[in-house]
Amino acid sequence: MKEFTEKELAQYNGKHGNPAYIAFEGKVYNVSASFLWKAGTHEVLHNAGVDLTEALEQAPHGREVLEKFPVVGILHGAGVPDVPSKP
Amino acid sequence: MARVAREMVEKAGINVDQLLDLLVKNAAAELTTFYYYTILRCNLIGLDGEGVKEIAETARIEDRNHFEALVPRIYELGGRLPDDMKTFHDVSACPPARLPKDPTNVKAILKVLVEAERCAVRGYTHICNLTAGKDHRTYDLSQAILNEEIEHESWFSEFLGEGPSGHFMRRGETSPFVSKFLR
Repeated sequence: MKEFTEKELAQYNGKHGNPAYIAFEGKVYNVSASFLWKAGTHEVLHNAGVDLTEALEQAPHGREVLEKFPVVGILHGAGVPDVPSKP
Repeated sequence: MARVAREMVEKAGINVDQLLDLLVKNAAAELTTFYYYTILRCNLIGLDGEGVKEIAETARIEDRNHFEALVPRIYELGGRLPDDMKTFHDVSACPPARLPKDPTNVKAILKVLVEAERCAVRGYTHICNLTAGKDHRTYDLSQAILNEEIEHESWFSEFLGEGPSGHFMRRGETSPFVSKFLR
């Protein structure tokens, strides 16, 4: 599986024809197909191409929303917790 | 534009342009949902469909009310709606609540309805979280809309067999929470 650095991930920002990838707990998801990630932006405040692990803790939804998106790699240097965070 | 009102919101630490973007997207979701729900309601027929038709109609009318209630706040804060209707449709905060491939499948229609409401519940929770204690008027409006969206979700969820909603259908007027913004 491809390993992304933060700099590489930033290129997948969903803009100018680039796919939209986001990282969560060390995994990189391709959210390009999502209506809610059009133009690489979600709910105005969140951009693709970054690690959203902390942001998802504050979101009005759980991690289950990511399950329908393909995992395309892992984020280099990201810690994957042993214990799942709160939904 | 309510210049001082906008200044107060900015001073509280809110990025008003971002907030306006969110409000316009959610206003678009409400109006497009009103449109798509019209089609869904028309197809809620037969022994199964007729039982759902009335709550789909109530949700449809209340979603239109949400659009009507959001628009003044958008303009008060210095925002505006897009000139072009298609542009407005395409910026919607929620996916189109399209009629399922099999329009006779009432359960499939219910799933479309409940997903639309869940998107709205998440969206207004997000706006409430963003504005709580900072932009009292937008918070009050978003919370009123959220109350109604939660009820819509619970109605459709109940029909899908996910558990009781715990309340009755509307008695009389629609939008018990949002109506104060429509007077």
